[in-house]
Parts: sequence; structure tokens; C-alpha cells
Amino acid sequence: MKRIGKVLLIGLVVSLLLSGCVTAPEKGKQVSFMISGEPAEVAAYQALVDAFQAKYPQIHIDLRSVANSGDYMKQLVTAFSAGAQPDVMLLNHRRLAQFAAQGGLEVLGAYLDKSQGLHAADLYPQALEAYTWDGKTWCIPQNVSSLVVYYNRALFDAAGVAYPAAGWTWENFLAAARALTRDLDGDGKTDQYGVGVSAELMRLAPFIWQNGGELLDDAATPTKLALDTPEALAAFQWFVDLQVKEHVAPDASAEQAQGSEARFENGSLGMFFNSRRTVTTFRTIAALDWDVAPLPQGVTAASILHSDGYCMSAKSKVKDAAWTFIEFANGAEGQTIMAGTGRTVPSLRAVAESAAFLDPNQRPAHSRVFLDVIPSLRHMPNLPKWPSIEETASNEIERAFYGQATVEEAAAMAISQTLTYFEQTK
Amino acid sequence: MVPEVGASPSSMAQPRGVKRRAAWVRDSYRRQNALFLAPYLLGTLVLVVVPALMTLAVSFTDYQGIQAPTWVGLDNFRRLTETPLVRFSLYNTLIFVVAAVPLRLLGSLGLALLLDGRRGGGLARAAAFLPTVLPETAYALVWLWILNPVSGPLNLMLGALGLPAPAWMAEAGTARLAIVLMALMQVGEGFVVLLVARQMVPAGVYEAAEVDGANRWQGFWHITLPLIMPWILLLLSRDLIVSVQNTFTPSFVLAYGGPYYSTTFLPLLIFELSFDFMDWGLASAVLVIVYAWILLLIWGARNLIEGLRRREVSDAR
Amino acid sequence: MRGRVATVLVHLARLGIALLSLLPLYWAVIISLRQSGQPPTTTLEWWPQSFHWDTYAEVFRTVPMARYARNSLFVVSLALPLTLLTASLAGFALTQLTTAWRQRLVTASVALLLVPGLAVWTFRFHILNLLGLVDTLWALIVPGLAGGSPLFVLLFYWAYWRVPHELYESARLDGADAWTVWRLVALPLARPTTIAAALLAFVLYWGDFTTPVLYIYSTKMYTLPIGLQLLRQMDETNLPLLMAAAVMMALPIVVFVVLVQVLFLRDRSLANMVDIE
Repeated sequence: MKRIGKVLLIGLVVSLLLSGCVTAPEKGKQVSFMISGEPAEVAAYQALVDAFQAKYPQIHIDLRSVANSGDYMKQLVTAFSAGAQPDVMLLNHRRLAQFAAQGGLEVLGAYLDKSQGLHAADLYPQALEAYTWDGKTWCIPQNVSSLVVYYNRALFDAAGVAYPAAGWTWENFLAAARALTRDLDGDGKTDQYGVGVSAELMRLAPFIWQNGGELLDDAATPTKLALDTPEALAAFQWFVDLQVKEHVAPDASAEQAQGSEARFENGSLGMFFNSRRTVTTFRTIAALDWDVAPLPQGVTAASILHSDGYCMSAKSKVKDAAWTFIEFANGAEGQTIMAGTGRTVPSLRAVAESAAFLDPNQRPAHSRVFLDVIPSLRHMPNLPKWPSIEETASNEIERAFYGQATVEEAAAMAISQTLTYFEQTK
Repeated sequence: MVPEVGASPSSMAQPRGVKRRAAWVRDSYRRQNALFLAPYLLGTLVLVVVPALMTLAVSFTDYQGIQAPTWVGLDNFRRLTETPLVRFSLYNTLIFVVAAVPLRLLGSLGLALLLDGRRGGGLARAAAFLPTVLPETAYALVWLWILNPVSGPLNLMLGALGLPAPAWMAEAGTARLAIVLMALMQVGEGFVVLLVARQMVPAGVYEAAEVDGANRWQGFWHITLPLIMPWILLLLSRDLIVSVQNTFTPSFVLAYGGPYYSTTFLPLLIFELSFDFMDWGLASAVLVIVYAWILLLIWGARNLIEGLRRREVSDAR
Repeated sequence: MRGRVATVLVHLARLGIALLSLLPLYWAVIISLRQSGQPPTTTLEWWPQSFHWDTYAEVFRTVPMARYARNSLFVVSLALPLTLLTASLAGFALTQLTTAWRQRLVTASVALLLVPGLAVWTFRFHILNLLGLVDTLWALIVPGLAGGSPLFVLLFYWAYWRVPHELYESARLDGADAWTVWRLVALPLARPTTIAAALLAFVLYWGDFTTPVLYIYSTKMYTLPIGLQLLRQMDETNLPLLMAAAVMMALPIVVFVVLVQVLFLRDRSLANMVDIE
């Protein structure tokens, strides 16, 4: 008994010492700041925090990071429910209304209007607009990334296809995709695909817009998804045909065997749809000869915004200090640090147009594409139940893309299954 | 400090003293006993009971995590019937339970008979037990690769044997089958329980049967099986519960509920409703349904066992 | 003759089961010995083609796995003894209660065993937050105070209940206090259960993924399962690296299971591993 007691006592003392070592000293104002990202990104945010700290030693930033974006929501939601929410957090604009509608967020429009260092006019309006809900500006967009086409130049050369350029059309795109889809070893199975695109609403939406369709039946007072209009259905059919009819995109089994992103990385995929996010990884692959192009266009040109913003929680007790941090993070210095990761498209025009983003020594050679498409950018609707709607619709799109339902069936299911979420919003 | 067992001779002489001392010891014994229970009861109250009750309460409210919950009565339970996702996941869970529970029981029984400890086989037992206790996330990750349609060893092996190579997680049917397969590999607890049950059958019973000329199969069918039946039923009720709850990690890691909801089982649904849709009222309502269902199953299994016991008793008469 | 054939068959079947059970882990080991970043082959391999032990070192270079391992060890080294102590004491105390109370508490424990983790996760955060334990490793250790899980308490209870009660009674009449009866009479008789509970508790704390995801957000306090998730997040296609990390996480448990089998439990072996009534 004595021995057990002693062991426990020593354990307790040791652990107290250890836990003492890792607790940050409290000095001045504490601002908690929550993000999600892999180690390289976290390191960039740490650099941002360090730069801020050097300038404002009286404010202490407590950086909290979660590895995975799914886990991020899990932790953020739990923290909010317990009243332990961070003062500043990074939030995707598609989640904005979900948090704002419940009074979780502070309206930042007034802060922005009063700010000396940060002006609305310096930010791309397409990004800022995505953070407007219920007539108010809630968060400050950190980036203005969008969907583009990554392409493998070596494969284009080998197939004798011209590189994609601004203004290329759905027909040009399909022709290139066909030429790039090949059975290299003659075993009857495709081992090089033309297109890799995840079957979800975030990818399909710009093509619906390009074809004159809309996602919602009414922009001001939406009551349902509008995927069943002729324009939307035609775009949906074209998108699905890439796999079902043309077989220029991997089928379900092939995608399961090796994801499109991995295929692009190892040089067996001609074109890959993604936002700016993958640039960081692609840069590390020396053997990969790649560049970016705008989306092919239909009746009109359109692409879709991918953006995260700095948001402040409504219950923060250190709002001024929190705003000081946001102001710095989204100011020229902060945006330059974050642009250094290669992962973001700065929302601040001055930094986006600078070498920090358009560095000619860094790939992609045509980083400017990300800036050129900004005028034609649209964003997902801001609705409190949008995440549920989008996920339900994406599940239907995936089903159609892999040939398990017709586009008409999938569109009808997506509409009927999401009705409940529109009703709850009313 | 503490008297050793059997080391209190002095008080033996005085009956009165013994009585008073015994009462004191008895009381302090009770106090100590209560002290032993305190951390468990208090900790469980704080870490399990209170959170579970809060979840129960939330099922009658509209709660999305940020604003305080507002009372909505049974509205969440009405919404359960209207949400297609709930239907999908109930159906999936049912399919899984129907497929996995009998297979797992048969597997446990087979292992228990085959790995019976009377003649060695210790390392085989350890090997069969191992998959059950491996860290879930690591094990699921290993399976994610094993089930790869092109480069996964399972399909390579099937291909080498000239068998068709399914797309596993890319198709609804095979995706569910894969989750069942994984669960079938993790029957360690069940087989250990039946192993114990089997070993508790007195050897004399078999000897008597052998004299009567019974062979192995008859011995199993007429002696072992009836004697371990209560254990099998116990295991059945336990497995029914476990099967409803333990599908989370495999379906989450392997396919995130897909393709097209085919591996969206109840735990994953609750997870998604809470943390993705932030609809905690609805998520809690699903939890309440799950819990009610489990209690019903237990009650049913208990009645079954009781009934069996009663029949045994009357048979014996 | 027939008997010998049957015996051989039984041994073959046992071997088959053992191999089948170990196959997933063995395959993981084979892949983990490839060079980090090497793409998967489409030929079946039964033996490692190369021995790139460096892949294991690479895991530590890619993410701060050593720190995560230290954190995991810290949690286990405190939570495990705590769990065994509280669960064992509570299990013993249950056997000493009056019939009415014993039945009440055992039934309650069984009922609690059925509460799904999902029902508890979120609001446990509220409580840990009130206690100021969020984002400390203590958040992962406190369940040990409650015996880890009602399962462990019940395991001990069932083990102590099988001991003839005269043993406790006579020690008690000799003037021994409850602590002494537990330590000198009950505990030594429940050694297999203690070992089994230790194994199950080790698995519980070592492999726990959900709790740290919810209750920890400082990178320096991540545990091994989070590290594995991080690796997957960084490059899901780097199978050798992922499998090396998975194998390292599984290794202590493999060692534990084998040790339990070889050193502690003789023929009746795993019998007490999970023990109902």
C-alpha cells in the first residue's frame, strides 16, 4: 500500500511539473485564435502570430490549431456550445450564415469602416460580398481563391494538344480531355485520364452558372434548389457525361483505387480541378511540369469563390485586441506572410498584385489566372442551413457522376431532400 | 499502521469489548467502503451521467450549439420521420446488425471450440484476439489500403485465385460487406467469453456421454451447446448493442458514410447531425431512439434467458 | 488413426486462424518497409522487397511524433494505474454492499455501459471546461478517476464476487479494515482480471482518437492517434509512411498481448479477459 501510494504521489508531482511547463504565462490581453491546417500552414500562422507579437507585445495570441477541417468543425462547434469559443477564428464563407444566424459572430462591418489600416476598398469586393449576410458584413476575407484547371504540360505536349488559355470553351476542354485519356500499356484499361474532378456541388455549380442556370429558385427568398431547370440540367448532364459517357474521368472504382489528386501528382492525369489549395503540394514535386488555366467557359464565363475569413465571436471579451489582430493579419504585412505559403490568393489587392503572390520564380507560371478570374467569380449562397443543403446535393451529384442515377433523378432527389432545410430557415 | 489479517488476539478475551470494537470496525469498514466507491460514482456522475442527461434534455429542444436551447417538445421526434438521412441510416444499421451479429456469433463459437485451451493453442488465441484490441484508427487505415480495388492485397489475392475483384468501398453492397468483414475479424471478446463458458462444462459430462457412445458432433450438439446456450444469448444481446455503436470508426475512416449513404450508420449520422449540421436537437433525438432500442433489446434478451432457465428447471424436474 | 488426423486438422485450422488474424498487420509491416513515398505495386507481396527502416525514422521527421508519443505515454502512465486502482476498489466495494444496494449499483453500471460515447462527448467538454481541464492532458486522464469505464468496475466486481465470501468475512472479523481486506485477500485472487483490465485500459487510452480531437487543441499536446491523422492529412498516398506509423502504434499492444499470453496466463489463458458473471 505504501508503495502504491508513493508511486501515485510521485506520478502526481511529476505530472504537475510537466503540466506547469506547458501552460503559457498570462500577460496582458489574451486573444485566442483558432485555425485548421497541416503543419506547414500552422507554421505560417505561427509566423503571422510572431510578427504580430513583435509589434504588439501587450497582446498575447493563443494559437489553437486542429489538423483536419472536419475535426476543426467538431472542435469549434463544441467550444461554442460550452462558451469556450475562440476570440478570432478562420471560417469558410459557406459556414458564415450558420454561425451568424445564431448570434455567434460579431458584425465586423463597423470595425472595418472605422479602421485606419484596413479599408473595404482595398479588398476584392467579390470576396467581401461573400461575407455579407442579412445586410451586414460579418467577417474579413482572408483570401479570394477560386476553382481553376491545373494541367500537366508534359502530357499536353505528348498528346499534341495546345495548352488551355483564357476563353477556351467546353468543346475545347472535352477535345483536350479525350486526347489526354489513354491506355498506355494496351491492356484495355485506361491508365491515363484526361480529367480529375470531385463530384460535388462546389465543382458543378460554376458550370450551371456558365450555362445560365442558378442554384436557388429565388435569390432573395429561396424556397428550394433549382437544379431541375433546363439550363442547370444541361450543365449537370455535360458534367456527368465526362465520366459516364466520355470516360475521360476515372470511374468510382478507379477513383477509389487512386484519387485524382494523387494521379495528377504522379503524372497520370491531364487536368485537375481544384482551388489554390494544392499549389503548396504541387510545388514540392520537381518532376511535375504543371500550370493553371481558367475554367473552360460555356455561354458565359464563371467560376466559384473558395474563401476563408477572419471572424470574431460575439461573446469575445477582448474585442478591441481581437480586431487589432485581424487588422494586422489581413493588412499588408500579415497577407504577405500568408501569401508566402503559396496556398492563398490574397484578398488585399496590393498584396495580390505584388511579387509575394505573383513571384515569377515560383510555380505556377500563370498565377495571374487566379486574379484574372476574380471579376467572373460567384459564391455559394449564404443560408444558415447551407452546409446541410450542399452536402445532400453533393451526395446526389456523386451518384449521378458514377452512373448510379440519371441527372434528372439526382436533381429531383437533391431538391426534395433539401426542402426541409429551406423550411427550417424561414 | 493497518492490522494484518488474523492479528487481533488481545481483544478476544473480553466479549463486550469485542462487540463494541466490532461495531466500530463495521462502521469504519462501511465508511471505507463508501470511500472506495466514491471516485467511481462521483466521476461517473460528472463525466457520464450528467452529460448523458444533458443530451437527453436537448432532444426536446431546438439547439444548434450557440444560442441557448429552446423547448420544442416532441418536434425533433416528428422531424426524425421526415429526414431521409435518418431512414437511410436506420436501414443501414439494421442491415449491418442482421449480417454481422449472426456471423460474429458463429465466428466466436467456432474460435472458442477450435482454440479451446485444453491442448495448447495459446499463441493462436493471442493472434485471434489481437485485431480486437488494435488501435481503431490505425487498424481502419490498414484496411483502407487492404480494400484498395487495384493495389490492395485483398483484390490482388482474389485476382490470383481467379476470383472477381470487387470495387469494395466504391459500391454500396461491397462497402457494407467490407465493414462486416472488419467487424468479423474483431470477435476477440466474444470468443473469450465462449471459451470460458466451454471450459466450465464439467469434463465428467463428456465422459459419461462417451460411455454412451456419443461422437464429437453429438457431444457438441447435445451437451456443449445446450449448456453454453445462456452465454450465447448473453453474447447475442451484447453484440446487438455493440453492433449498433461500434461502426463509427470504420465507416468514418474508410468511406465517410459513402458511397451514397451506404455506410452511414447511426453513430455516423449522429456525428454528422451534431458537428456538421449543428442540429443537436435532432442528433439527440436519434440518440434517444438508439438508447431506447438498446434497452428494448436487453429486456428481450433477458426475458429469453429467464425463460430458458425456467424451462431448464422444469425439464430437470 | 482417426483421432490423429483430427488432431492434425485442428492444429492446421488453428494455424490458419492465427495467420488470418495477423495478416492485415503483417501486410502493413511489409508496406511500411518500403521507401517512403514509393507508390503501391500491383503485385501481391508475401515478403518485404526491401528493408527501408528509414521509413520509420521518416515518420518522426515528418511530424513531431516523438513528442506525441511522449504525450501518449504520459497519459497512459497516469491514467492506467489510476483506472486500475479506482476500478478495483470500486469493484471490491460493490461486493461488500448490502444486497439491495449492490443490485442497484450493478444494474446502474450495466446501464451506463450502454451509453454511447456520442451521447457524452459534447457535454463532457462543458464540464471539463468548467473544471479548467480543456486543452490539458488531464482532460484525457480524468476518466481514470472514474474507473475508466463501468466495464472495468464490473470486471473487478465479477472477479471479487466469485471469491468465497467467508474469506472476506473472516478477515473482517479478525479486525482487518476494508483496505487490508482488498489488498491482502481480494486483490491477489483477481490477478488475471487485473491483467486483463490493464490490457483493455491500455488499449482505451493508447488508441483514443476522439477525446484528444475534442479536448486538445495545442499542437504540443497532441497524442499519437492525432499524429497518425496528421500524417494522413499531409499525404494520404504515402502508404509506407502511414503504415509505419500505424505499425508503431500497434506494436506496444502486440507486445502486451503476447506478454499476457506467454508470461502471465497459463492454460486457462485469456479466460478472464472478458468475463461476464
